[in-house]
Amino acid sequence: MMKVKVRFFARFRELLGADVIVEVGERTTLPDLIKQVTQKNVEGHNAIFDEHGHFREYVILMRNAKRIDIADAAMNIVADGDDVAVFPPVAGG
Amino acid sequence: MFSERERERYKRQMMLFGDEGQERLKKAHIFIAGAGGLGSPVSIYLAVAGIGTLTVVDRDVVDQSNLNRQILHYDRDIGRKKTESAEEKLCAINPDIRIRVIDTTIEEKNAGDLVGKADGIVDAMDNYPTRYLLNDVSIRKKIPLFHGAICGFYGQATTIIPGQTACLACIFPKAPPKEVFPVVGVTPGLIGMVQATEVLKYLLKRGELLTNRLFIWDGIQAHADEICMERNPRCTACGSFCETPGDI
Repeated sequence: MMKVKVRFFARFRELLGADVIVEVGERTTLPDLIKQVTQKNVEGHNAIFDEHGHFREYVILMRNAKRIDIADAAMNIVADGDDVAVFPPVAGG
Repeated sequence: MFSERERERYKRQMMLFGDEGQERLKKAHIFIAGAGGLGSPVSIYLAVAGIGTLTVVDRDVVDQSNLNRQILHYDRDIGRKKTESAEEKLCAINPDIRIRVIDTTIEEKNAGDLVGKADGIVDAMDNYPTRYLLNDVSIRKKIPLFHGAICGFYGQATTIIPGQTACLACIFPKAPPKEVFPVVGVTPGLIGMVQATEVLKYLLKRGELLTNRLFIWDGIQAHADEICMERNPRCTACGSFCETPGDI
């Protein structure tokens, strides 16, 4: 098993907590990872994923400080020690 | 050249950046899009710092529900145009600078003309469609954009130098859904200060700008994070931007 850190920000943090350390198996993709973390939190899951289980189009994903396009997320296999950040754009002024 | 009154007014900050720095601020023109939660602290602090010309654009009237955060406006201003209220306060705060207010909606057809030849654009808006318009003007006219946004106790800020750094659409390609956001005044106060500090540093050519970095503030945890960003070569807004030598 590998350990991966997932960090949520803003609204996602309110729903899912700030930092989560997750144990994942081999060949876990980024969407699999975030689904695993949010599976027991319907509101948190629905804030990040649409009804088809795809990332909502405005979700920002970072892996080890590098931006991951959500269209490419499923091609990203997480590795031991990865730091994944998930956040929505904040809009108010 | 500064009057005796100006010298006295700016004495403590001229200890930091001298006549030359203060002159840079005096010659500058900053465009502030919005006179609300972010626009209030940004405009107040840029006014007291002695930015020579401030243009403030807003289309709204002051509502009672604005007053928990929009510190340019007072209870007596309810029902008054925000631009009128802003002009009165900013002129009173610093009569030695020029305040221009424009009571209008920022749209695609007028955004470029409104910004004019400003030296910087402060994003103090509350929605992404208008932010993207400002981003487009910033890229087209090669004017820096100082982004800020807030929700509740959370805030974010970044500085965009067109052609050199990630633009707003590189960082946030898609707008989140529109919503009535909860907010407590201290959050735009803090994020507005980050934006105003960036404006001053840019004009003074001092320090490290918040470029290619998204500053994220969590007031509840009293925790600041920074996320590195980079230009997206496929960005719909700045992907085709080619900087020619001497542009910036």
